Amino acid sequence: MKEMLRIQDLTKYYGKVRGIENLNLVLNKGEIYGFIGPNGAGKSTTIRSIMHLVNKNSGKVFVNGKEFGKDNLEIKKIIGYLPSEISLYDDMTVKEILDYHESFYDNIHDRRKNLVNRLQLDEKKKIEDLSLGNLKKLGIVLAFMHNPKLVILDEPTSGLDPIMQNNFFDILKEEKEKGTTILYSTHILSEVSKICDKVGIVKDGHLIHETTIEDLQKNNFNFITIISSDIDKIKKELDLPIILENKDIIKFKNDLEINLILNKLVNYKIDKLLIEDPTLEDLFMHYYN
Amino acid sequence: MFLREIKVNFKSFLIWLSVLIGIFLVVFLIYPHMFNKENMEMFDEMMAMFPEEVLKAFNMDIASIDTVFGWIKTEGFIFVLLIIGCYASILGSNILLKEESDKTIEYLNSLPITRSKIVLNKFLCGICYVVLMVLGLSIFNYFGLILSDNFDHRSYLLLSITPLFSSLVFFSLSMFLATFTHKTKKMLGISLGIVFISYILQTIASLSNNVSFLKYFSIFTLADTRYVITNSALNMNIIFISIILTILFLGLTLIRYNKKELI
Repeated sequence: MKEMLRIQDLTKYYGKVRGIENLNLVLNKGEIYGFIGPNGAGKSTTIRSIMHLVNKNSGKVFVNGKEFGKDNLEIKKIIGYLPSEISLYDDMTVKEILDYHESFYDNIHDRRKNLVNRLQLDEKKKIEDLSLGNLKKLGIVLAFMHNPKLVILDEPTSGLDPIMQNNFFDILKEEKEKGTTILYSTHILSEVSKICDKVGIVKDGHLIHETTIEDLQKNNFNFITIISSDIDKIKKELDLPIILENKDIIKFKNDLEINLILNKLVNYKIDKLLIEDPTLEDLFMHYYN
Repeated sequence: MFLREIKVNFKSFLIWLSVLIGIFLVVFLIYPHMFNKENMEMFDEMMAMFPEEVLKAFNMDIASIDTVFGWIKTEGFIFVLLIIGCYASILGSNILLKEESDKTIEYLNSLPITRSKIVLNKFLCGICYVVLMVLGLSIFNYFGLILSDNFDHRSYLLLSITPLFSSLVFFSLSMFLATFTHKTKKMLGISLGIVFISYILQTIASLSNNVSFLKYFSIFTLADTRYVITNSALNMNIIFISIILTILFLGLTLIRYNKKELI
């Protein structure tokens, strides 16, 4: 598979405060990569370093096999970028900014029309009068209208209503089919499982885990909830980390074979037994803790 | 991008030009009524009380204010230099920094355009507006003078372009200094401070020979109205220095902006 984005040993410090350190990442062509982590983990710093909005301390960024320098216009032309909080020229109308954007690229008018229709944008409106959701829609159009090969999206769905979110996910799926590579930074995990092929988890400025969505969901742990009058004895017998405890109810996080657990439980009176797979949020917390 | 910059900065250009034209319009309207023979005698008596150094500071030793042109050559040009200087300085400090304070730089930076080209487009736009400001006021005053009294056309034309040289340096210096900060308010204070400190230094320098060296620290020295009034010619050395300084600050702006963290 052809590489579209390679981040190599990327380090960025804000004075003495670490943003990211020796971060390595590879995105292949046509891949949607979920870049996940809570606020302050280093997602935006990574994106801002890629886009040269901040000066990296060390490391390199390669796009389509070529090192992405600040003034490499060939590479800039094939990148689409949607920042987490988009700010555009307030004095312009939607039409004016789309015209302005169009003036930097060749033959993109049809694609512009298509995206404007799909996202139901009113071109006559002034940017200062747009709601947060409409501003985000405009940002999405600007990020995709020049047919980029690599799109960097930072928290793209904030402010979008559920219908528009679905429209947006459809656009992402179509882009993926066209071979567009997408770096999708978010902390909303349900979005990741819907559209991403691969996931990278960032913690304290490092990429701590990278996997495919399937592998992530092929979990190696589960949750067991037991209701029993013998709860104290069961607690001693299983000796597993307790997630929740309330009178006769107890919830464990289990990484042992289920058979082994059941064998241990046969000697006790069990009223109810529930075995659950972890949600994406649980998996995320598992790596984070 | 150049046209976009022209459009964005047009409103403030109009406001500043209107203020300047307003000041001169008032002068053209009231001046003929202020200076009759009786007033002139009183005024001459008052002027005689001022030390020569003070008169020199306002060019009053080489020009009389009994006509509108005389006033323009003395006090009038202090207003022109200060106001166009403030305009150029504020324009220079805002033109790049506004993108950062409004956070539109994230969008602009994502477009296929180099940082040098961003600086050059904004620099050209600023230069255009500073030239238009000087030109606009010159044309207004020219017609005002034609309607008011007889005056030396050549002397006026040369005098009217002198603010251009100091203002270009104010503009480019402020643009360069703005590459060191992200805060527009801070930069506004610094840029206006430079204009007023320059003016104070220029005035003090003309008061006594002992402190005349201070003129080398004032950008207003580059608007050598005194030389134009006394010689009816432009001081070519000063024009040359102004152009060199403007190009130098542009070069430094390009170097700094290319290294700047934009957010």
